[in-house]
Parts: sequence; structure tokens; C-alpha cells
Amino acid sequence: MTLLDISDYTLDLPDGTRLLDGVSLTVAVGETVGLVGESGSGKSLTARSVLGMQPRGATTGGSVRLDGREVLGAPAGDLLAVRRSSAGMVFQDPRAGINPMRTIGDHLTETLRLVDGRSKSDAEARAVELLRAVRLPRPEDHLRQYPHELSGGMLQRVMIAGALTSSPRLLICDEPTTALDVTTQAEIISVLGEQRATRGMGMLFITHDLNLAASICDRVYVMNAGRVEEEGDARRVFRNPQAAYTRRLVAATPTIASIGPLGPVVIGEATDAASAPRSVVELPRAVDAEAPMLDVRSIAKTYHLHGKPPVRAVVDASIEIPLGSALAVVGESGSGKSTLARMIVGLESADTGEILVDGVVRTAMPRRRAERLAHSRSVQMVFQDPYLSLDPRISAGRAIEDTLRLHSTLTSRDARTRVLDLLEQVGLGERHATAVPRTLSGGQRQRVAIARALAVEPDVLVMDEATSALDVSVQAQVLDLVAGIRRERGLTVLFISHDLAVVRRVCEQTVVMRSGEIVERGATATLLERPRHPYTRLLLDSVPRPDWDLDALAAIDRTEGVPA
Amino acid sequence: MTATPTLALEVLRAPRVHRADAAFVVSLGVVALMTLAAVFAPWIAPYDPDQVDLSAVYSGPTAAHWLGTDALGRDLLSRMIFGARTALLGPLIVVVSSTILGILLGLLAGWRGGWIDAVLGRVFDVVFAFPALLIAIMAVALFGKGLVAPVIAMSIAYAPFVARLTRSLVTSERSRPYVSAYRVQGFSGGWIATRRVLPNVTPIVGAQSTLNFGYVLAELAALSFLGLGVQAPTADWGAMINEAQAGLLGGHFLPAIVPAVAVVIVVVAVNVIGEEVSDRIGGGIPA
Amino acid sequence: MTAGRRVAGKLGALLLTLFLASLLVFFSRFLVPGDPVSFLLRGRKPTPEAIAQVTAQYGLDLPPWQQYLQWLGGVLVGDFGRSLQYRQDVTTVIGERLPVTLGLVLMAGAMIAIVGLTAGIIAALKRGRVLDRSVLVFLTMLGAIPSFVGSIVLIAVFAVQLGWFPSFGSGEGFLDTLYHLVLPSIALAVVFVVLVGKVTRSSMVDQLGREHVEVATSRGLKRGTVIRRHVLRNAIGPILTVSGLLVAGLLVASSIVEAAFGLAGIGSLLVQSVDRLDFPVVQAIVLFVVFAFVVVNAIIDILEPWIDPRSAAGAGAR
Repeated sequence: MTLLDISDYTLDLPDGTRLLDGVSLTVAVGETVGLVGESGSGKSLTARSVLGMQPRGATTGGSVRLDGREVLGAPAGDLLAVRRSSAGMVFQDPRAGINPMRTIGDHLTETLRLVDGRSKSDAEARAVELLRAVRLPRPEDHLRQYPHELSGGMLQRVMIAGALTSSPRLLICDEPTTALDVTTQAEIISVLGEQRATRGMGMLFITHDLNLAASICDRVYVMNAGRVEEEGDARRVFRNPQAAYTRRLVAATPTIASIGPLGPVVIGEATDAASAPRSVVELPRAVDAEAPMLDVRSIAKTYHLHGKPPVRAVVDASIEIPLGSALAVVGESGSGKSTLARMIVGLESADTGEILVDGVVRTAMPRRRAERLAHSRSVQMVFQDPYLSLDPRISAGRAIEDTLRLHSTLTSRDARTRVLDLLEQVGLGERHATAVPRTLSGGQRQRVAIARALAVEPDVLVMDEATSALDVSVQAQVLDLVAGIRRERGLTVLFISHDLAVVRRVCEQTVVMRSGEIVERGATATLLERPRHPYTRLLLDSVPRPDWDLDALAAIDRTEGVPA
Repeated sequence: MTATPTLALEVLRAPRVHRADAAFVVSLGVVALMTLAAVFAPWIAPYDPDQVDLSAVYSGPTAAHWLGTDALGRDLLSRMIFGARTALLGPLIVVVSSTILGILLGLLAGWRGGWIDAVLGRVFDVVFAFPALLIAIMAVALFGKGLVAPVIAMSIAYAPFVARLTRSLVTSERSRPYVSAYRVQGFSGGWIATRRVLPNVTPIVGAQSTLNFGYVLAELAALSFLGLGVQAPTADWGAMINEAQAGLLGGHFLPAIVPAVAVVIVVVAVNVIGEEVSDRIGGGIPA
Repeated sequence: MTAGRRVAGKLGALLLTLFLASLLVFFSRFLVPGDPVSFLLRGRKPTPEAIAQVTAQYGLDLPPWQQYLQWLGGVLVGDFGRSLQYRQDVTTVIGERLPVTLGLVLMAGAMIAIVGLTAGIIAALKRGRVLDRSVLVFLTMLGAIPSFVGSIVLIAVFAVQLGWFPSFGSGEGFLDTLYHLVLPSIALAVVFVVLVGKVTRSSMVDQLGREHVEVATSRGLKRGTVIRRHVLRNAIGPILTVSGLLVAGLLVASSIVEAAFGLAGIGSLLVQSVDRLDFPVVQAIVLFVVFAFVVVNAIIDILEPWIDPRSAAGAGAR
């Protein structure tokens, strides 16, 4: 039975911009449907439209029918009814989505009391029941707590419980795990699957993560620029994408499941030779294992915050990277991986331990001019968010030129030639030199940041989550660029990431960090294939994988079948 | 096609239709006119502003006196034109000096942080407790009537507002990755602060400071109105209203209302300009 | 951090600010070059008795810090010395006039709250529409009417022309006083309405754009309920903060209004004392305004955890 039926749905802004262009999709009772796309594809807008939450003044066409009722143009009263009984929605960021000034209990009981007219104690009993269903440890206590007292994962469970208070027939999830760590994501996904199964709800699951969609959805719709590019059985769409856009997307998506028999085949089928992902970079010269380029010897860093217990960000961490090699540091938020990176580039000082770059001690934060310049020539860094790491007022060319002239006595003309040279190396041209960051895309900005880091010809390049803010297709391009530069220059790279699949593409060696400690290290392939430490195993198990193996499917079914 | 109900979807909100710039243009015109009047007062004014004519007391608008005359038969229009001088000069000095002082202190506090920030923050808190007009009145109590002491005092009184805004902007800039990126490239802290962060925050601070102009103008005029600022018989809008109060009760409105309306018009014009500039630069007042 | 420790910390900061302010008020006199006796007795005949009196009152024969301690000791027990113009205790002179000023400020405060909040809420709910823009224009106009202009216009129109309200004095008895304070309160309130109105609007618009409001809407709550429980509730913080900052401005601006309407409050007393070179009274009133401002804002600061539970935990506002 069809629960949600969107057909030929269009949405235009008052200024005439068409945001959605003939979207059609259906969700049946008990079905999980994925809505996949990159940022700006219109997937969130489509989802919100189901609840009648379009942007102000937008004009719509086509039809959105939920449970047999037309939502478009419905009077306010009908919309309230739809929201109160037919559909519930889980939003991306629970920190932003739950009123920070009201208690968890308030959040959960407010619709029960104000809409259903239940008594306070009745509503609270129901809230406790729901909190238990989403597996929060102490439901009664949580009712009295404020959102800031709970972790992101716990809050997302609260958000799910909140969406379930109305016993909706359709649950809309808008990137419900994007703001969360991968292990937390796995827990949330299992809670969602469990609730969907026990309640027989339909689920519309919006995500940018192909692997995630592939691992939990029955059918998927791939959206791009306000249109549905492709739809169909999840397995078919990802194994055998038809639309050109889907093919590109599938090819660009790094996957962790390369070792199994199907992984590479899936990718091979989907891609043409030109955009085929290079998994491991061939090294230009023999690695000299005797003298590591970057040698970090048991460094530690503890933060003493006023009025709070000290935080041990990094505890006795040692890493070595041979010349021309790439090492990944993998961990979830709070693992200390970024602090480690910041100590290496001299943005933070280590409490103890030693950092050597090319045999020279670079432990202390540089003070004097000569130290600063020497330190920055030894290590450079590319930051996570290219929207924030470039000075908004300074053009791309100027940014690179400033750095060049700080480190050398080039004439203006030579500096400019060198700037164009560097921009060319990262795939940009002369016209980008005069562009301010605002006018560049995310990928272009990150290329500028890379060019700037390369300008001083550093010994080591640290990339701190350098691709995690980018859409997958852009991420793939940037990763290819980095691989190319490594091939040409034999650059030594320290790659900080939360994403095991990305790491697999880039680095020969990987260390896994948790709570400031390195818990496992080894060759990336071996580590992903045969993890020894339980935490590494947990991380790997948490990564959603488009695994079409029947046993795995059966396992998923089993988890979904567990009654609440 | 149907119009959909409106909801709070600000992220996807339609881009704001650019509001008509008529008010902005008119305001610029008003301020330009005022400035010209102030600069060229001796050439423009039809009469000597202090010329008493007891035969033409409270003349009302006539061909000879467009805005009429006051209790002493002085030409109101001429007094208004000359009054524009003190009306503009005082606020100009206060805004410029408080902005420079505030930006320097705010940059120092925001960039260095630590105890310097703590001490400056405490000092700002204390100065906040003294409203500008109160400090100006105190300055008069100490140094006598006139505009010099109040203008200096108000420059100091307004500086913490500028400094606090600058500090908050600098603090947030300092924590941005682009600043870390400069550090990693080997630039010195001083260079980053003065050559990169300062130019990034100055337009926002400057635009906000122009909004102080109207307040200062009103406060200095109020001081003269209270008889503590510019002293009669000098032509000054505040002092003119003060002098005209007695006549007001006798039904002679113009000598009081004309300068009063002038103050309002100029303050509106300055505020419209300040808000428009702030909007265009994109830095609102952080709540 | 416990609530008790937090409040204690705030009170400590309050006392520190008051202490520093008292230093400023007391030592400002030392900025004036020359002999302190002739400064304090400006415009008066420096008779030996008068000289002896100010010397004793200010302890002018003592070193500066002892002068300060002596003055502070007096201030703490409510002794601000003697007024030179009234030959009475400063405390008595101020005490007689305080009720008028407080009445004026309270009445103006009520007007500001009612008009400012209403205008701000309407503008926020109709943001981007004609009504919003009209309210903003209205507020901008009000904000450009300084108290002395407001006083002049109100006197001209409602007192002289129409004769509905008195133009002078503070009246006798409660109702008459109230009646006498109507025009002055309006003149005082006008310029401040814009601040409350605009902060209400921007604070609410900020909340309206938050995801938690969208979530509340998605759960089928009525728009009114969402506005009341999630938008207004969360928007209170900045509104209260700005309101607290108004206290000092209102007290100082009341001097203008009191002067224009001939009210015998501490504002007109301040102006008159500056005019008549009565420095002890000026010092006392300045200190009173500062004290009122600092205390009101400390109270708002202490109340904050009840407004925003995150501030109690020291978590940054998100």
C-alpha cells in the first residue's frame, strides 16, 4: 500500500528559481526508501514538503499525497493533522533541533500534553516508554535533563523518540547521522531500523552517504539539482547505475568493502577508466625506512580548563612516516587526532615528547622569525573547512604570493609566475588567481589551500580532515589531486580523517586513535582486513557497507526483527 | 499552482528583495547639505546670527525671515545654519576618536586575550556603568561649561562600545582556521593581527560606529539644551531650544520647534546611512 | 559549578565594579588642576568658615588615599557630605527628590516595555513584509527623537495648544502626580523604545530561523504555541540584557525631561548642582546612577541560568 506518493512535484521561489523540478517518488508501508544526493540537490526540501514546510512564498505544482491526503495547498488545519498523526521527522543536528532552554521531558511531552490533551503524568509515562524504546539508559532521569547535558548520540535518540510520540505512519529522516561519529551512527541506524520494523512504518531516509543508503534502504532515489536522476532497487542502482550522474557518484564514493569479492567489481562496472579511483599510490622512489621524515616520539598534551577536570587530549603518541609515504590517523571526535596534527605544525605545544622533521627537532611552538619560517618550511597543513581556512578578503593568487614572498626574496614578477605555476599544479588557472574565496567553490578553495601549502615546498604535508567538508564527487577530485602530487613530488603526508573508506584510498599506513591513545597501527590494507584491537573492529563494523552478501542481509534482518 | 503556507524555513528563505534606496539617497543628501551649510555658513546665512532686532521679535515666517525670528528678533534661519557647525563637529570628533581608541583597545584585548583582556574587560564594564551623557555632565562639573570637556569625555565614554564589538569580532576571527593557516605558513602574530585581522573587522566596526553619530549629536545638543554645553548667545541648536523654552509656553513655537525638528531629521538621516552601510557590509550587531 | 558559587562570583564582580566606579567618581576631582579648596568653593566666597568646612568634609589636609577612605566610609553609611547650595545633608536633598525620578523612570520603563515588545514581536512575525518595514520605520523615527525634542513637542502640542496636560511641576497626591508625569514619561520613553523593539525583533527572528522551531512545527504544534513556547521563550535573554543596559540611560535622560517639565527630581537636581557648582551633590547623584545600573545588571546576570540553563553549566551559548 502506498503511503507517500509524490508526483511531478515542482517548487519555485518567488524570484523564479526552480528548486525542485518534477520530483516523483513513492514510499510504501513498511518500506525504507533512500533519497540520496549531494548538497543543494533538493533532497531536504522534498522531505520537508511532505510536512507542508516549504520556504516562504514558494509556489508549488504537482502533488504530494500522504496517506491518501493531498498536502500541497492543504488548509492549515489539515497540515496540523498530517504532522500530528501521519508523518514524523528526524532532523540532522539534534543539538540545534531540540530547544536548548527546555528539558528533554518538556520536548517529549509537549505534543502529548498540548495536542493529545494527556495529563502530565500520563504524558511522562509515555515519554519514558519511548526513551526506553530508543535505548536510552536512564529514561526517568533524562526527562529532567537539559539538552546540553546529553551527548549528540543520546540527543538524536531523544529526537527520534520525539518524532515517534505521534505514532506516525511515515518516518522522515533527514541526514539523521551526519553530525555523529561512525560508531554512534551505527547505533542510531539500528534503533531506527528496529523502530521501523516494530511499528511497521514507512521510512524516507535522506542522506548524502551512498554506502549508508545502500546498506539500509530497499529502494533509493538519486537526486541532483532538483531532479530525480535515477530510482530503483537499492542494490541495482548501486551495482548497475544507469544515469550518468549516478555512475559518477558511485565512482567517486570511497568504499571500505574493497577486499571482498564484490567490492572492486562493483566499482569496476560503474566507472570508466578515466575516473577510476586509484586505491594506493605508487611510490616514486624507494622508501628509506632508516630515517623517517616525520618522527613523533611519545608526545602528550593535556588541557587544563578552568573549573573542569583536565582533558588528556593526546597520551604518549608516537608515529613515524618514511620519506614519501602517507600515514593516516583515524579516530572519532575527541580522539585527539586533530590535537596531534596541531602540535606537529606548531599551533600547539606538546607537554612532553619530541617531534622531529627530517631529523630536526620541531617540538616547541616557534617564536622567533627564523624558527617560524623554518618550521613552516618543514611542515604545512591543509585545514578541514576551505570556507574558513582562506582569508575572505584576500584573493587566491595574493594568498599564495604572500606566502612565497614571506619565505623568499622573489621579485613581484617571479612570484607571480610561481603563483600561476602552483595554481596550475592544483588544476586551477590564471582566472582563479584574482578570485576571492567567496566566488570559488568548495573544491576550488581546497585546491587553493593545497597550492598555498605547497608554495613553501614543505617536507611534510598534514591534511586535517581536508576533504570531509566536501561533497563526494569533489572529495574524489581532491584525493586524486593529492595522489598526483605525491607521485610527482614524493611528498610525505600525514592524513587525519574520521573516514576509513577515504583513508583506504590515500594511505599505506594507518594508526587508530581513541581518547588520545594510539590503539592500533599497521599497513592500511591489513588493518582494515584483519583488525586486532576491539575498537578498530568496532569502527570497521560501524561503517555502513553496501554489502550484498546474503549472510549480511540476513544479519541486518535479524537486528531489525528484535522487538522493542 | 498553489501558494504554500508560510513557515520558518529561514535557511531556504527567498533572498530579500533589495529595498528601495530612496531613503538612503535622501539621507545622504541631508547630511551633504548640512555639511555644506556648516562649512560655508558665513557665506550662506542671510543675516549675522547674533544680530538682535527688537523691532522684529517673533516675526513668524516672512519674506525677510524665512523661518521667522526669535525672542530677540534674531534670524532663525541664519542661527540654524551657524548652529549646524557645532551640531556636526562635536559628534564627528567623538565618533572618530572613540572609533580609533576603541579599535586599538579591542584589538589588543581580543588578540592578546589573557590578563590584558581580563583587565580591559573590567575597565570597559566600569565605563559602561557611566552613560555618555553622565560622563559629559561630570566633565562639565569638573572643568566648566562648554563643549571641549564633554567632547573629550564622550570620546572616552563611547570607546568601550567600539572596543567591545572589535574585541568580539577579533576573538572570533582569531579562532578561525584562516588565522591558524597564516600561522602555519610562518607569519608573525603581529602581522596577522594588524595586516589581516584588523582590515577584516574595521569595516564592520566603522559602520557600527557611524550609528553612534546620531546618539552623540543628540546628547551634545541635550547638554546645550540643559545650559551646560554651548552657551547662549552662540547659535547652537540645543542652546536655541533652551532659550526658546520660555516663548514656547507663550505660544511661540517656531524658535523651539525648528531646531528640534532639525535634530530629528539629521539623526534619522545619519541612522539610515549607518544602518544601510552596516547592512551592505553584512555585519549586524551581535546579539 | 554550584549555583551558590556562581552567585558569589557575580556578587564579587559587582563589588569590584562598584569599587572601581567609586574610585573614578572620587578621584575625578584630582584631574582638575589647582587647589582643591578653590575648586570646591568655586563661585562662593572663600570665608574661613567655608574653607574649614570643605577641608574637614573632604579631609583635604590628608593624603589622597585617606581622603578616599574617609569619603568611602561616609558613603557606605549614607553620608555624602553637605550640599553647598542648600546647606543640608546631600542625602536629605536627594532623598526628597528621588520619588519623582523613580516614578518617572518606572512609568517610562513600562511604556518602553509595552510598546517596544509589541512592535518587536509584530515586526518579527511579519518579517520581510510591509508591516515589518512600517514598524521598523516607526521605530527608527522614534529613535531619532531625543528626550529634549520630545519634551518640547509634547509641551507645545498637548500642554500649550490643547491644554490636556500640565506643562510644569510634579503635582500633589498620587493621581495628580501620575497625571503630571504622563507627558514627561512619554518624552523620556520615546528614544528608548527603538532599542527594545529592535532587539526583540532580531532576537525573535534569530530564534524563528533555528532548527528547533522547525522541529516543533514538524510535530504539529500550532503556530501560536510554537511562537510562545519556543520563539518568545528563547528570545528573552537578549531582550532582558538590553533592558538592563537602559537603566542608566533612563536615569540620566530623566535630567533632561525633568529640566524641560520643571520636575523636582534628582535629574534636574544634577543639572542644577552642576550649574551652581555644588560638587558633593553631583558626586552623590553620579554614584547613585552607577550603583543602580550595576545592581540591576548584576540581578539580570544572576537570573541568567533560569533564562538559559546552559549558562549555569558554563557551556557556551550555541
